[in-house]
Amino acid sequence: MKIAVCVKQVPDSETRITLAAPGPELDRSGFTRVLNPYDAYAVEEAVRIKERLGAGCEITVVTIGPIRAVETLKKDCLAVGCDRAIRVDEPALENAEPLQTAKVLAAVLRRGAYDLILTGKQAIDDDSAQVGPMLAELLDCSQATVVTKLELGEGVFTATCEIEGGAAVVRGSLPAVITCQKGLNEPRLPSLPNIMKAGMKPQETLTCADLGLGIPAARSRVTTYTPPPPRAACRMVAADDPAAAARELARLLRDEAKVI
Amino acid sequence: MPNIAVYIEQSGGAAKKVAWQMTAEARRLVDRTGGEVWAVVLGDAACAAEAGRQGAHRVFTAADDAFARYDAETWTRALAAFVATRRPDLLLVGATAVGKDFAPRLAARLDAACVSDCIGLDYDGGFRLRRPIFAGKCYAEVAVEAPVAVAGVRPNAFPLFAGGGVDAPVEAFDPGLGGFAPHAAVVETVTSAEKKIELTEAEVIVSGGRGLKEAANYQLIETLASTMGAAAGASRAIVDAGWVPHSHQVGQTGKTVSPKLYVAVGISGAIQHLAGMSSSKCIVAINKDPNAPIFKAADYGIAADLFEVVPALDAAIRTLD
Repeated sequence: MKIAVCVKQVPDSETRITLAAPGPELDRSGFTRVLNPYDAYAVEEAVRIKERLGAGCEITVVTIGPIRAVETLKKDCLAVGCDRAIRVDEPALENAEPLQTAKVLAAVLRRGAYDLILTGKQAIDDDSAQVGPMLAELLDCSQATVVTKLELGEGVFTATCEIEGGAAVVRGSLPAVITCQKGLNEPRLPSLPNIMKAGMKPQETLTCADLGLGIPAARSRVTTYTPPPPRAACRMVAADDPAAAARELARLLRDEAKVI
Repeated sequence: MPNIAVYIEQSGGAAKKVAWQMTAEARRLVDRTGGEVWAVVLGDAACAAEAGRQGAHRVFTAADDAFARYDAETWTRALAAFVATRRPDLLLVGATAVGKDFAPRLAARLDAACVSDCIGLDYDGGFRLRRPIFAGKCYAEVAVEAPVAVAGVRPNAFPLFAGGGVDAPVEAFDPGLGGFAPHAAVVETVTSAEKKIELTEAEVIVSGGRGLKEAANYQLIETLASTMGAAAGASRAIVDAGWVPHSHQVGQTGKTVSPKLYVAVGISGAIQHLAGMSSSKCIVAINKDPNAPIFKAADYGIAADLFEVVPALDAAIRTLD
């Protein structure tokens, strides 16, 4: 079985966005960058499948990103069990929209005849949650999104997907694009020796030209980034007597805020 | 003059609330700019009759046995057929599990702009969509630069249509499926054992955090939530500790919510939690530590022991006259 895992390096969830006023640019210079947390579930799932199937299973991790993404590929992907890495280095795709990303990833994936394509349910920077389903359309294959359980059979898969108030079970044929949600597994941490060895695994760097592809055109553009609307200062309800405070709060919510 | 199509997602024969919220917002927009709102219904057409009163000018329905069970490929083909023949400028899809599943696939098929989780909709010769990024730490204004766009809309971002709607003409369209067989489909839907209100759709949410001290005390959150007709949420800390399932988690690696009222109980207010709920219209914080960051995000606060305040609040709400 050939597995591809599509990953993205993103600012970590502790990142503070400093934006004094609305503007066309976001200062991304001070960000600490990590493997997108949902992609970690995709990497882990691929490695667990390989551990079950043994020989004949190969995992290729694919990303689009500048040279700094190499560290994420090595430490969080190759060092935990992925076999090889492909990185598309194309400055024009910095902050690309999901359809641009999906078109380039699809071009990479078409070279490999993968049975299973795993990725995170969304990246925690732009929160678009689009690349997975777009890949499935571009590759004309099955999809299952926000997956918390995955079972593979001979040429088929069964995935449990999180939906409102429960779960949906999706069954289909391989190849398939699966987007991974927290709960699917518990990602392992890389060991130091494996991080050292990760650098020896094959890594390929490509451009769009190498893929026989022009830079896909964007269909939309962020014109302005704005800080969240400011909130008025918190009104503290005197709490000397918790029961009285609770009554006062209930009254405020009904009569002032009008939310209950 | 833009024509805006709205996909009307159904659940048990009734339209989802977000479908009518989008219809209403689209109507308010085209009332300023000109153009029409088209409701698009796949399968059971019972809700088509209501679309006009919810703000739609016209309703388009498609019937096919394939709509009996959901799959992304069938929905993609059917809506792509609609867009190709009727040529709306924008198609709105609710940011629900189903909507988020097929909308990007549809956009890829149409080679359209695709903007997820919108909370604002405007038009000045081109569409301007507003959406939170970085889980709400920042907002992006997105200009559509393509002939057609697919936009996901967050539930509860927009109010319903306030009257003035009349019955809209209903017209059938050909979804162009012709015996199409998808690669994958939903074969079973499992509903959670307890009948709970879904976080992303709830108007009121009560969430608990580490201040609850132990798993059994989450009962306090569930009781207050039940009294308030609210959904019960949780911080990442208590989900990671295994007290409650991940489906309850609010925050950057959980659910992003924007209810009318969010009550944070024993939650310190780590930045990844704030990211998931800061767009709530009214936020209440109950925490023993008056310096907890949650109070900076809150509208109302009580700095006291939650084990005293929460039962008292429950009683106070029950007895509000």
